Amino acid sequence: MNYHFDWTPIWAARGLIAEGLTMTTAVSAAALAFSTLVGLVIGGAATADSRAMRGLALAFTETMRNIPLLIHMYIWYMALAFLRLPAFTCAVLGLSFYSGAYVAEVVRAGIGAVGRGQMLAALATGLTRLQAMRLIVYPQALRIIAPSLASLFSQLIKDSSLASVIAVAELTYQAGAIEGQTFRTFEVYITISLIYLVLVTAVSQLVLLIPGSRSEAAAGRFADA
Amino acid sequence: MPDVILKNLPFLLHGLWMTLNLSVWSIVLGTLLGLVVGLVRFVRLPVLNTLALVYIEFIRGTPLLVVLFITYFALPALFDYHTTAYRAAIFGFVMFIGAYLAEDFRSGLRAIRPTLIQAGLATGLTRWQVLRYIILPQAVRRVVPSLFNQYVRLVKFTSVASVIGVTELTGAGLLVNAREFHPVTILATLAIVYLLLCSVLSLAGRTLYARFAVRT
Repeated sequence: MNYHFDWTPIWAARGLIAEGLTMTTAVSAAALAFSTLVGLVIGGAATADSRAMRGLALAFTETMRNIPLLIHMYIWYMALAFLRLPAFTCAVLGLSFYSGAYVAEVVRAGIGAVGRGQMLAALATGLTRLQAMRLIVYPQALRIIAPSLASLFSQLIKDSSLASVIAVAELTYQAGAIEGQTFRTFEVYITISLIYLVLVTAVSQLVLLIPGSRSEAAAGRFADA
Repeated sequence: MPDVILKNLPFLLHGLWMTLNLSVWSIVLGTLLGLVVGLVRFVRLPVLNTLALVYIEFIRGTPLLVVLFITYFALPALFDYHTTAYRAAIFGFVMFIGAYLAEDFRSGLRAIRPTLIQAGLATGLTRWQVLRYIILPQAVRRVVPSLFNQYVRLVKFTSVASVIGVTELTGAGLLVNAREFHPVTILATLAIVYLLLCSVLSLAGRTLYARFAVRT
């Protein structure tokens, strides 16, 4: 091993790395919000009384989950090119529908874990079905599924690296650019993997700050769906 | 079938073949790696346990695409060897899936009740025999669902190999698209093929689990 280490070009390119990090954060944050929305709606539908609703929700999650994320991104970027969406939007949409299906599965499991009695009691007190969901079921389910959400969201951040393929200038994309200019291959890729590691660890710890979630960490079994 | 697919069918089928090839090699080697690392973590072998922990944490915090860049660009530069996109992809997939599988195996191993191990030792089996005949058979059956989850994930992830230039299904589809420009048809076809592949694989997982479930 006579590789000559040289970290100075990496430090010199810190501006680009910071830009990439900002973009990764932006893509991930937008996709995180949108996939949670998709997950709540589809996951809610998956526990509905109507058989048709459940069927539709199941078809949606199975289809979205079993198509590779890369294909999701290319579909928005190339197949639906007539929509003229910017690459950023394509990446966010691709990530959201892909991860949203996983979130939906977790939400469904969480709602199931809350127990039917809670819903029936809420309805009996005169709340509407939507109110019961929003005020009684979802808050309890959220605590149960927090650990699984943490692992899904850290997955999402890592998956956002695929946005580089459709030319969104996030962290991985900038790494490629820096590598092309400096040829410090090893240093660049190790640096950005450490940045991802920090980002992912931070997010999984943040989600556990949801009140009451840590004590009910038993729901970890829904993780890694 | 649409014309553009029919016309390029042999090329696309070769891509499908490469996807299956990558998946099978990565699943087989990755499962072996995961089992070994999982065992190392389970029995807490001195030094090796720490190494395994660092490996698992590093991989689980790194995107697959970056792992592939490391095995394709960074490691060959560091250790001065030549590799091909195909070999680097398999190497990357094995390292990637191995870390997740190791954690699955470890949790499966830890779910075995200690009394079973004590009983095995009491009947005069050696530690190795207890592992081989009592712990592993149960642990492996218990983790079948998580294993297959990871396998399905891996099959989807093989599409990322197209980025480092492996002409598997996605790579082949993109090349065909570059020549013919029918993105809707081609991407829809790719999506359906992956959908079928993954559905078959998860069905196989569920069947296996039902067939060999640990009955208690």
